[in-house]
Amino acid sequence: MRFGFRRLILLSLIPLISFTGCEQPQVKFVFSQKTNELIPEAAKPVKEALVRQFGNPFELTQFEGLPTDFGDVQGTVKSVESSGKDQPLIRFQATGLENAYDKLLGLPLEWTSGKGQGHISRIKEYDFETGTIAVEKSPEIDPQSGDTFLIECVRLQFGRDLYNRHCMHCHGMSGEGTGPTSRYLNPPPRDFRLGIYKYTSTKPTSKAQEADLARTVKEGIAGTYMPSFKLLTDDEVSAIVNYVIWLSIRGETEKKLVDELYLDYSETAMAERTSEEGGETREEVLEELKEYMELDFPDTLEFATSSVAEAWEEANLEDAIVIPQKPRVADTPESRERGRKLYLSQKTKCASCHGPQARGNGTATQDFWTNPATNEKYSERGLHDIWGNLLPPRDLHRGIYRGGRRPIDTYRRLYSGIKGTPMPAFGGSLTDEELWDMVNYVMSLPYDGNR
Amino acid sequence: MGKGWCLFFLFWPIAAVVSCAMAPFVGWSFPYNNAQAASNLGIRIDDLFYIILIVTAIVFVGTQAVLVYALWRGANNREERATNIHGNHKLELIWSIIPGAILLFLAIYQMNIWADFRIKKYYPEAAVKDPLAEVTARQFEWRFRYPAIGKKLQQKPQPDDLYSVNELHVPFGKPVMIQLRSDDVQHSFFLPALRIKQDALPGLQIPVWFEANKPGTYDLVCAELCGWGHYKMKAHVIVQPEDEYQAYLKNLTQKQFYDGLGKIAAKDTGTESEAVEK
Ligand SMILES: [Cu+2]
Repeated sequence: MRFGFRRLILLSLIPLISFTGCEQPQVKFVFSQKTNELIPEAAKPVKEALVRQFGNPFELTQFEGLPTDFGDVQGTVKSVESSGKDQPLIRFQATGLENAYDKLLGLPLEWTSGKGQGHISRIKEYDFETGTIAVEKSPEIDPQSGDTFLIECVRLQFGRDLYNRHCMHCHGMSGEGTGPTSRYLNPPPRDFRLGIYKYTSTKPTSKAQEADLARTVKEGIAGTYMPSFKLLTDDEVSAIVNYVIWLSIRGETEKKLVDELYLDYSETAMAERTSEEGGETREEVLEELKEYMELDFPDTLEFATSSVAEAWEEANLEDAIVIPQKPRVADTPESRERGRKLYLSQKTKCASCHGPQARGNGTATQDFWTNPATNEKYSERGLHDIWGNLLPPRDLHRGIYRGGRRPIDTYRRLYSGIKGTPMPAFGGSLTDEELWDMVNYVMSLPYDGNR
Repeated sequence: MGKGWCLFFLFWPIAAVVSCAMAPFVGWSFPYNNAQAASNLGIRIDDLFYIILIVTAIVFVGTQAVLVYALWRGANNREERATNIHGNHKLELIWSIIPGAILLFLAIYQMNIWADFRIKKYYPEAAVKDPLAEVTARQFEWRFRYPAIGKKLQQKPQPDDLYSVNELHVPFGKPVMIQLRSDDVQHSFFLPALRIKQDALPGLQIPVWFEANKPGTYDLVCAELCGWGHYKMKAHVIVQPEDEYQAYLKNLTQKQFYDGLGKIAAKDTGTESEAVEK
């Protein structure tokens, strides 16, 4: 006691105290702010539909027709190891699990033939190398070689696990962009729930290609807090991208449903409708809502999910990608000069945002702009993105290219604009030669001294 | 004090020696290839480490043996009372001069290595004249800037510079130097396999040289707790023969100046190729 056990105990408590200080993110999918602003009678079916269609972080579900890879694996029993009477597990070798990674532990396995058909076993052990699975013994099942089984959701859960380890910290459990560290970051992490991604290779109205998101994960985004995850394998990256797209689809579906209801059934709308000018009673409104829910909501849901799924599918088609008709115009002083004239012209109005010297200080940064979503003016001067963040136009002398520094990347920024931001798309209004002249001009800016 | 305590104090030096001795066999020793450094300087640093390890091991075992002996004698002899003595001049001299001499020896002995490692005047001339790349540490990744093929690295970025992230390619068998910078906070450029570690400080450009002696893929990690994502700050240093290194640079050049139509190098190291952009 003399050498201070009490102090020792206190000392060993310090890590404990600091651990409890850490914020534990809640393991659930959150709903958007707009959903929560609906009256409870309208919010409830929306939330129920989302849980039905997408599940929760522990139990992911996926409805038919989604372009994301849910990852069902069909296996066949190759041989059963003999096991002692008092063994609690049945071990067997299986084939067909080559694409299942090392992620099957704890998942339910449904027997699709043999004595146990229709029964579900839990996977207690799984050895990826040898393909050996162990499931709990039960009288209902008796695996024989040749029996088949199904394991669901392998791919999506693999992506979820990786996402929760590497991405959730910033982007949040539901992809809502408010993970525990997000509040320290500027620019803030992307909210995936609009399904909009800035740096894509696709046409202005198209979604991102899977390859675009994979590139972002692998290369990071220079000049932001998005680091490179190059050390992940290609397969891991694609699993993460698969999950991120799935989260986006969930968010977009939610948004589509809520947008249908918001004007008539938000708390504010309710207050307005039941006020003296509105002249309706709460019961009348609820009656109308009930009718809508019975007659139209199923169609709305069907349309929301299928249109979102379709948009993602289309983005991965070949003709969604922006490919120049003509190769890059030679990077000569003349070409750059033509690009500079275009930059300053009324045709492009680049200077109004990026400034006459391309320092990112155009006159547009001094105006109060209107939020297209709410039709109200922003409280700060300057341009905003679709997520509501202040978005200063890029200083083009910095030589930091968030969407990649290849000529084709700059070409695509000009052709398609930057999705979700005021940066417009010039594809169509400028010819290929003009676009390349602009590329040459913009890419020369970091190296032209102090002009 | 009982004999239990004698055994207690006997146990620790034995445990320490045993675990040190078996470290190389259970993978607790230096990283990579039989604990051999993958750089020539690294091998010299390992030698230094082993000298210090041997010296400290002898001192440690010796003092512990004396301690255990004294305890054992005390535990066996309950009659004899301790006497109060006022130090021993001779002993004081011995245990001041011997460690002092050892430290002096180590200080002088390691000076060459230190100079070769850290004093720019002694850096290999070729490496200093033609730095390989600029390495920028950033929360939480490593970004690299190489000069264009056939050109020299400039202080300021050039239009034809080549860029990559989290993957530094290095030719082996010749000394190379990088310019180390930090974009935000303090990081540390740590190549465990090559025994290279150098802090990266915002606002400073610090030259670091090394000579990889065998091809391979080695970890580049950050050795400075630099934020919550510190553990993610991992990259690879790919040491390869000169011709493969040149091929890599060529590939990088092709990819970086890709205009969506021209040919692009095969998909061996990159994330994108014609196969992706059909
Ligand atoms: Cu660091």
